[in-house]
Amino acid sequence: MKAYQADIAKFEESDTQILGISVDSPYANKRFAEDLGVTFPLLSDFKRKASKDYGVLNEEQGFATRATFVVDKEGIIKHIEQGNTAIDPNGAYQACSMLKKKP
Amino acid sequence: MVKKAFGAALLFVLASVALAQQPAPPRTHLKLGDTAPDFALRDTAGKEVKLSDFRGKKNVILAFYVFAFTGG
Repeated sequence: MKAYQADIAKFEESDTQILGISVDSPYANKRFAEDLGVTFPLLSDFKRKASKDYGVLNEEQGFATRATFVVDKEGIIKHIEQGNTAIDPNGAYQACSMLKKKP
Repeated sequence: MVKKAFGAALLFVLASVALAQQPAPPRTHLKLGDTAPDFALRDTAGKEVKLSDFRGKKNVILAFYVFAFTGG
């Protein structure tokens, strides 16, 4: 999340909204956001529905694993990253700048 | 000799498959080109945010993370 915040200007430039999603409560997310100085929304998937819909819920442990999805303006998934590489925003950023170039 | 080599190769393949399957972090069933499932989730101010809010307006990066207060 920190890395995304550091690059937020780049993302905003390419017409992109970042949404952080976890199974934390809104309260925990608020403290997390304050601690890191995150300005994009952190959403609480308390019921784990979104995590399930996106196939990123670790059923055994009940939390979402690290994953990044880039969705274009038509709601189509353009980029997926899972696991540790998803922490690095560069892949997502590149996917976004590709979208931007499209007419 | 050939049989032995084949046996070793088979063993290697089986071992690789077993290893690959062992740590099983969930892999998403979603594919590139799929429509992203909509959601309605609360932000830190308690406001509901929907993916469809951004339809036709912005690209959206959904960054799922494990827990607050962890790295990344």
